[in-house]
Amino acid sequence: MKKLVYLLLAGVMAAGLTVSASADLRLVNGKIEVDAALKEAAAKYQEETGVVVNIESMGGGVNIQDELKKQYQGTGMPDIFVCGSDADFGNWDGLLADMSDCAWAADTDAGYVGTDGLVGFPYTTEAIGLAYNADILEKAGIDPASITGPESMKAAFETLDSKKDELGLTAVIGWCCEAQNLYWSTGSHSFANYLDAGLARDDTTYSDLLADGGQIDHDRFLHYAEMVGLFNQYSDPALLTSGTYDQQILGFASGKYAFVTQGSWIGATMTTDDAAQYEEAGHFKVGMIPYAFEEGIDTILTNSPSWWAVFNDDNADEAKAFLDWLAGDEGQEILVMKGGFISPFKSCSFIAEDPFAETISAYTAAGKTSAWHWLKNKASLDQNATGQLYLDYALGSIPDAETFTQVMTQVIAEYYAS
Amino acid sequence: MKAESASRKLLSLLLLVGGAAMLVVSLIMDFSRSGVPFRGALLVLGMVAVILGLYLFPTLKYHRRIIYVIFLFPLLFTFAVTVIIPLCLGIFYSFTDWTGIQYTQFVGFGNYISMFQDPQFIWSILITFVFVLLNMILVNLIAFLLALLCTNGIKGDGFFRAAYFLPNLIGGIVLGYIWQFVFNNVLINITKTSMLVQTKSAMLAIIVVYIWQYAGYIMLIYITGLTQVPKDVLEAAQIDGANATQTLFQVKIPMIASTFTICTFLTLTSAFKQFDVNLALTGGTGSVPSFMGKYLTSGTQMLALNIYNTAVSKNNYALGQAKAVLFFIILACVSLIQVRVSNSKEVEL
Repeated sequence: MKKLVYLLLAGVMAAGLTVSASADLRLVNGKIEVDAALKEAAAKYQEETGVVVNIESMGGGVNIQDELKKQYQGTGMPDIFVCGSDADFGNWDGLLADMSDCAWAADTDAGYVGTDGLVGFPYTTEAIGLAYNADILEKAGIDPASITGPESMKAAFETLDSKKDELGLTAVIGWCCEAQNLYWSTGSHSFANYLDAGLARDDTTYSDLLADGGQIDHDRFLHYAEMVGLFNQYSDPALLTSGTYDQQILGFASGKYAFVTQGSWIGATMTTDDAAQYEEAGHFKVGMIPYAFEEGIDTILTNSPSWWAVFNDDNADEAKAFLDWLAGDEGQEILVMKGGFISPFKSCSFIAEDPFAETISAYTAAGKTSAWHWLKNKASLDQNATGQLYLDYALGSIPDAETFTQVMTQVIAEYYAS
Repeated sequence: MKAESASRKLLSLLLLVGGAAMLVVSLIMDFSRSGVPFRGALLVLGMVAVILGLYLFPTLKYHRRIIYVIFLFPLLFTFAVTVIIPLCLGIFYSFTDWTGIQYTQFVGFGNYISMFQDPQFIWSILITFVFVLLNMILVNLIAFLLALLCTNGIKGDGFFRAAYFLPNLIGGIVLGYIWQFVFNNVLINITKTSMLVQTKSAMLAIIVVYIWQYAGYIMLIYITGLTQVPKDVLEAAQIDGANATQTLFQVKIPMIASTFTICTFLTLTSAFKQFDVNLALTGGTGSVPSFMGKYLTSGTQMLALNIYNTAVSKNNYALGQAKAVLFFIILACVSLIQVRVSNSKEVEL
């Protein structure tokens, strides 16, 4: 009798261990800085529909794809998760839900189309351009619109350099080639200009060349390399080889650099973390010019930096409904006004209070934008190959633009071959 | 008595068969990715039934042995789940094109061949060996000197022991970031460019940080050894007129020879597995302009970091797994030699 009781107890314990299936949605977000805005949106959605959406934000050096793979093997997949590149989407071939039947699909061109159909929901727009401090350029008597090619850029840099003391500048440009933590800034974002600057959005000439065994167009890259050399020459030596991202943004926000080589996302940092210094420096106007390493390059690079994909399981329809709601007015209001997103949706009428929002919409309206084909680069090309070479160039162990081009060509080809 | 025994036999058989059936069904459901919610419960119930069945099994001859196995079961089970099964799976995956999610085909020894054709991997192995060799010598030397200092009866030796040991209590990642700050912001005033940007000086930086972290720990072991040298032996040496150097080299060091063996192997294995300081301090960056005809861009990437990077960053899980198998073989050899040597030393003593 006693044994039967034990058996019963063991059975109860076992039943208790069973994981109960829950209908709540899970969203894995890769931008930790918008965690609060997303949670607010989720709370509002729950209020309206009763569906609970749990936001799990990852950031700060977490390899999200690796984390997702662990969840796939173990505890189960989130219903919505972030994917940033072709390699990321490639991981989940055949496992993602096609969203071409969703209402938002007709409202944007920024969705990600993969082998399973329209699988990526775009949630923001980011821009890569040479950001400048409009007040300083004005004081120095330089019209940003006059910088249209390598010569005018060089002339502007020389002028600024000669007036450094008068303008309160530490250096002309905040350009950082540190390879351990900032490889993505040089190896992907700056490299992106070689791939896309000045080209039409659907022009894939150089990314196709790269995808074909890692080839580099010598002449175009040499011109680009000369611009990098100019940056190396005029950057803050304290920042150039061993600086940090925070140092770089803070330097620009406090008016110590006239230019900075980071994209539109620094606007959020300037108005939050660095707000005090930004105010002190006079809350100056900012803008972006193209990285004009060849005469006639007149576009900045804008794109959805990453997308949200829906895992094709029982919750897929619920997840799609939530994304539809996010793309609608109520969702967009929270994402744009609270999260600072620049909406990729045509019907959205909200504009974020971001220092760069104006310049991005001006370029977009004029049709002067190029795409981010660097997202198609082989996985971690920046971390394992290109990032280090920018540092070597900045250190002088790669002496000139021609050598930089040759080494880059060699290393990238090897990386694609391995 | 007989009736009870018969019913007990029946119950035992029922439990064994039922339990085994439940286990099989739940495992099949698991592998076919069935969404049935009670499969976990079924697995546990099956397990409990099998164990009960074994316990009730009417045998005098084997009863004791069965009880031993049942008592060992939790440990064996945990060991299998956390060590044996992953090891077998890992070796299996190294022969496939596993992506971390699924595999589509077997590639035989393809991963093993391509890893030895990769100059970066060869470089990683080389610098790991150099690192291990240098550390084995330097850590032991410095730790032993510190131990001598702290057993010399100087004032406040308790404080110094604690102070030298303290870095070992800080995790490698945190330590790496702290030292990164030191190299990039403080020492840069002396070195002009940060030590971390050139491969050679960056390797030196890793070695310095590693010694800083590990010497205190090894020092404690040497202190234990030194304080256990019998007083009468030291007194005898003193009476015979041995000076401090003679006492050290001809009495103390031979007396603690086994401590040297232990410390050598401790530093050897831990230096081989070096990962966290490497990751946090340099992240493997650094360039080697010409090695086997290639321009390498991960000059300070040691073996463990190379494996991690291959899988996680380069998204090549199968190749990373193959490298991990090699890593396992190297470490297993080192450990086996260690056990051998330590055992023979013990016999000598």
